[in-house]
Amino acid sequence: MTKNETKVFKVLCFLCMLFAVSPAVSAMHIMEGYLPPTFCVAWGVICLPFLFLGFTRLNRQVKENRKSMTMIAMAGAFIFVISSLKIPSVTGSCSHMTGTGLGAILFGPAAVSVMGLIVLLFQAILLAHGGLSTLGANCFSMAIAGPIISWLIYKGLGKAGVNRKVTVFLAAAVGDLFTYCVTSIQLAMAYPSAEGGFQASLVKFLGVFATTQVPLAIIEGILTVIVVIALESFAQSELKAIHFNA
Amino acid sequence: MRECVLEGQINGYEQNAGSCQNQKIHRHRHRIGHHHDNGGSSIDFYAVNSGIRHVDPVLKVVFSLLLLLFCLAADQPVISVIAIVTAASITVLAGKLPVDRYLSVLTIPLAFILMGSIAVAIDFSGNPVGDWNLFLHWGYLYVTKESLVHMVSLVLKAFGAVSAMFIMTLSTPSFELFSVLRKMHCPALLVELMHMIYRFIFILTTVQRNMRISAESRLGFCDFRTSCYSFGQIASNLFIVSLKKANAYYDAMEARCYDGEFLFLEEETKVPGELILGAVVYFAALTLIWWMLR
Repeated sequence: MTKNETKVFKVLCFLCMLFAVSPAVSAMHIMEGYLPPTFCVAWGVICLPFLFLGFTRLNRQVKENRKSMTMIAMAGAFIFVISSLKIPSVTGSCSHMTGTGLGAILFGPAAVSVMGLIVLLFQAILLAHGGLSTLGANCFSMAIAGPIISWLIYKGLGKAGVNRKVTVFLAAAVGDLFTYCVTSIQLAMAYPSAEGGFQASLVKFLGVFATTQVPLAIIEGILTVIVVIALESFAQSELKAIHFNA
Repeated sequence: MRECVLEGQINGYEQNAGSCQNQKIHRHRHRIGHHHDNGGSSIDFYAVNSGIRHVDPVLKVVFSLLLLLFCLAADQPVISVIAIVTAASITVLAGKLPVDRYLSVLTIPLAFILMGSIAVAIDFSGNPVGDWNLFLHWGYLYVTKESLVHMVSLVLKAFGAVSAMFIMTLSTPSFELFSVLRKMHCPALLVELMHMIYRFIFILTTVQRNMRISAESRLGFCDFRTSCYSFGQIASNLFIVSLKKANAYYDAMEARCYDGEFLFLEEETKVPGELILGAVVYFAALTLIWWMLR
């Protein structure tokens, strides 16, 4: 091979690796069987207090007003459908919204944790995305960590009086990115690199995510802004029904 | 109230399954990509029509989860291969699912597994180490023999685990899964939410598909900017529709005397002793193999 050919070959190898890795996580779920049993249990246990909190809150809400039952169920189904929609992307590849940022903005992080758990369970058994054994880890990254960050940013910047569109954009995009960060930490802990250990492995997984997922996070942010604006202009009464205060 | 809600539910499931049957007329050969369009209803369709559909759901769930657990805990390629073969034969021979359908269901997770494993096998280092390495501007991508072996066993383990899970999903319709959860004393609120969310997913998917088709026929996805706009419009409209429907469903349930509790008719199934015995013997043999391999 000539020098140029070698260069092209290397670039192709690198691209190939990026594209090979990104589908495994573009659905952002850790696949079934990827985590050792101890990790599965540990992440599941970490989720429990959050889920308990979300569950008691939902329970109270349903006791107070039975009508909210169908509302909560519809919200869960809405998150499932939103997260399974192909989003428009420049490369034409298949990518999906997480939908959890939007969910956290609309319904609050506590409710989203329980709905997220159910949605992840359905994705695992109906679509073979994620898995039963990795449910705990996926639940923590997608239904707990991401939404909490989104919600904090949304509330914090909202109070600070930052432009509303910017607030919603940042909440969705950063929440999305944070989900990826947590997923890479989870993967790096389960698969430390032979030479550099946890840190080198983390850099590897984060590097792959950063190049492939930052554009997606930005698109998700833009879409969430469009959705929230559309909701505020067309669905005031519905938003009031779920106690959404702008 | 019970019968009405139940019948509505069962009809709903049959409808989901039925609509899927129509879809099957033009089957796509390339199943590697994402197939979210039907909201996973094909798996539901296979489950309802499975040959072992009337076997006690608890037995099926326990068996497949135990096999999954064995696969993960043993972390032995041999055990994984046994799990893959067992799962395939149960689903195809006992469940009477055509082989090509089974393979097409498996291609999606298999593609994910193969691609995801590459990241585990390849490592990055500043020095030229490993059995094979490739110099890129900032350092070396390298692969060692151990990491390749590790990757193969990981692929087998993950594939075994997925196959084990598919014993359950391809033979047990979701409403039976929920009833198993209830028997495990999962909180009633959660189980009811699952029932409703499950049904609502299919309703919303249909609504979304119609909106997407109408947007597409009006050139709503002609370029990136318009696509983003249309996507946002569809998503927000979907939200409004979903809340409206939620109200309508509540009224419908109230009209059928909903008083805060969902009750479903469950099939009374007796578990034949030989099935339990078979399962026990199978896992005993698996434990023995595992113990011998260590």
